Amino acid sequence: MEPRTAKSDEQNYYEILEVSAEAPHHEIVAAYERAKSTYSPDSPSLYTMFSEEEANQLRRLIEEAYVILSNQAKRREYDNVLKARTMLQPKPEELPDLRVVDQKTEKKDPPPTVSASGAVPTGFLKSRVSVYEANPQFETEIANAKEFDGEYLKKIRQYKNITIEQMSKETRISRSYLAAVEANDYEALPAPVFARGFVVQVARLLNLDDNAVAQSYMSKFKKK
Amino acid sequence: MSDFNANNIRGKGQANSTIIAIGGGKGGVGKSFVSTNLAIFLANMGFNTLLLDLDLGAPNVHTSLGEPLPTKNFHDFLDNKVESLNDVLHPTQIPRLKMITGANDHRDLANISIADQSRLMSGIYKQKSDFIVLDLSAGTHTSTLDFFLMADYNLITLTPDPTSIENAYRFMKAAFFRKIKRYEQQLSLDGLVLDLMKNANEKQIKTPADLLRAIETVDKERGQKLRELMTDLRFQIILNQTRSIKDTQLGLSIESVCKRYFGVTTDFLGSIEYDNSVWHALRKRRPLLLEYPHSPLYAQILAIARDLASPHLTKKVI
Repeated sequence: MEPRTAKSDEQNYYEILEVSAEAPHHEIVAAYERAKSTYSPDSPSLYTMFSEEEANQLRRLIEEAYVILSNQAKRREYDNVLKARTMLQPKPEELPDLRVVDQKTEKKDPPPTVSASGAVPTGFLKSRVSVYEANPQFETEIANAKEFDGEYLKKIRQYKNITIEQMSKETRISRSYLAAVEANDYEALPAPVFARGFVVQVARLLNLDDNAVAQSYMSKFKKK
Repeated sequence: MSDFNANNIRGKGQANSTIIAIGGGKGGVGKSFVSTNLAIFLANMGFNTLLLDLDLGAPNVHTSLGEPLPTKNFHDFLDNKVESLNDVLHPTQIPRLKMITGANDHRDLANISIADQSRLMSGIYKQKSDFIVLDLSAGTHTSTLDFFLMADYNLITLTPDPTSIENAYRFMKAAFFRKIKRYEQQLSLDGLVLDLMKNANEKQIKTPADLLRAIETVDKERGQKLRELMTDLRFQIILNQTRSIKDTQLGLSIESVCKRYFGVTTDFLGSIEYDNSVWHALRKRRPLLLEYPHSPLYAQILAIARDLASPHLTKKVI
């Protein structure tokens, strides 16, 4: 059962229903009807391809996809999560050199954006929304961290001088959800796909490796 | 033949024509019917078309075309009686359509050796024509799979019967793994694939799509290369002998299941209705499209032929 859900993380709800992300409502309904009959228990097209258990899992995913995509509000919210996720992918090249920022590289080779957009006092670093005092020790600790939970994300956020309000404004995630992420309050968070999207956006704002953070965070989420 | 080289046949690319293979696993699902009529339409559209009856042991494409059994055949080529496949081409009553069949009586009809198979394949690649249509035999014999995989278009014919669906799936699985096998040697992944399949249960490998994913996890670079190579395998499904509107839905369902199962592109090309005129035409030993041009099947097969020919048609017009 688990691997299927893991896999469904790669496949978004649109892909599950085999519709485009711009599909109008009636297409989603039609695709759902089609998928439902394709993966129904007595469907001849499943024979010898998927086991009963796998078909069950697929049916559950199809229902889940339909519940989200057929509801306008939920679909919009889900689209935002997807958008955030795809926005992340093309920019991995920014992440490494920001992540290993220590004073040496900072002095030797200051990123042009910093000098162009105004001075950052020595000993200070810049995040997307804030300026904060550099703490080399903590920086290395963050760079080497493997385990990320809500508390640790909160600690990094506070160190980087970012308020929940700023974060909410930047990521467009409601403050209550951000608080829930930081409090490890899994009950208050929505379905894993959404929660993962939130964590990814938080990680990104904090200049962390979003993949590693999301993986670590979600492994705890799933264990609850 | 000096140019026989096992590696030569491994890839496509050196073909001089667009090759369409029609397979499907089960017998009686309309492979010959579809290939014959498809070839007629392609020839009618103005393409030089070559129809090869690769059901070497039991050729009958000539019968559905209403032609006598040609005096020269594949076996003359394989027995070195003639120089090239050009010498065994048999013209038909349809302009631009030529065919080659197997022999009616030969010491070793259906069982073709690997060397002969390679020679035949390089002979086919060398043929200069617009389209070459391969009518395959039933079953999943390795030579049938190799002929199937040498094509640019991999068509699968099946009927809505569960037995036919089952065999079509079996055929697709066999073709898929045959192709993986070919590349795993090239990329020296054979050890890895064997290893993964041994522990398939632990590693949660249930489908070919899972296998590709698992290979990627272990060896990212070569895994991605393999996936890339596998994407030129593209199943195109023709649902034959449909009797209700529900069967069309079945075609779409099969497309969806295959996509999910194999992780490669699968298209539902179209359905062809069940029609009594098919066997009427066969009894008369006349191609359906010539005997019953007003049959609804005319439009259905034409749509499929247009679909396949469209990329080539535009080029011709320009």
